[in-house]
Amino acid sequence: MAALPIERRIRWAGILIAAGLVVQLITFIWFGPLPFMAFILVSCPLVAIGILIYLYSLVATQSSGVEGQHTSRTTDI
Amino acid sequence: MNAPEVLVYLFVGMTVVLALLVAFRAELTRAQGGKILAFIALFIFPVLAGWAGFSHHMDRAESTRFCLSCHVMSDYGRSLYVNDPSFVPARHFQNDLVPRDHACYTCHTDYTLFGPFHSKMRGLHHVYVEYFGTIPKPDKIKLYTPFNNRECLYCHLGARTFEEEPGHHKTPEMMAKIKSNQMSCMTSNCHDTIHDLDDLKYATFWKEGQ
Repeated sequence: MAALPIERRIRWAGILIAAGLVVQLITFIWFGPLPFMAFILVSCPLVAIGILIYLYSLVATQSSGVEGQHTSRTTDI
Repeated sequence: MNAPEVLVYLFVGMTVVLALLVAFRAELTRAQGGKILAFIALFIFPVLAGWAGFSHHMDRAESTRFCLSCHVMSDYGRSLYVNDPSFVPARHFQNDLVPRDHACYTCHTDYTLFGPFHSKMRGLHHVYVEYFGTIPKPDKIKLYTPFNNRECLYCHLGARTFEEEPGHHKTPEMMAKIKSNQMSCMTSNCHDTIHDLDDLKYATFWKEGQ
């Protein structure tokens, strides 16, 4: 079965979040400013973008669902 | 590695596994249970894991090992091992008067409401200078503001060795001046041997465990 648009977004969200958290785990290996900067500049943005894509997928699906409902109701009338 | 660190690593690892599970089995989210799983795996847990990671990095940034990881700080680290009790940091470090794994941060943070925040902001500036700025020579590094007695008194105030020390009562108003920071602990020819990098080349060093 083909993946729905929401599922494609969820896939991307999951991959980005996992990648960000893997980077976070790697930064725990070393001490010093460079791992800290990698955490702030790489890990955090990846996780944040992943979460935002996931939240967007929820909102986009809901709004398209509401639009669809509205259209069908209008057609019925 | 202590228990809280292990818990953070395990939690982050578990979140990675869950996020990948939802990513590669996205069709799970068609069912009600899958939607709840996705919300936990892609929102609740990543937020918590990110916060745990941030908090963990902040804790590590307070450690002596972190401070000394910059090359420019290595002489300051050596000064903690000088075999001379007149060196104030060495005396504190070697006698466990400050926690050794947080030795720098214990003295170089402001004990005020926003002191730790200001310390972190200064730390971020140091990171910027380390990578994008001009790193000064170790002996050219100066404090932003004169060292405030408040940081010393955070531990020493009320202690018998401080309150009853005859040297602190040479004049009737001396103790009041020390406590109000009008007379510095360090610049009054009293406790004025601090890191003193210039003297390190003549110093002998304490070897822990010998």
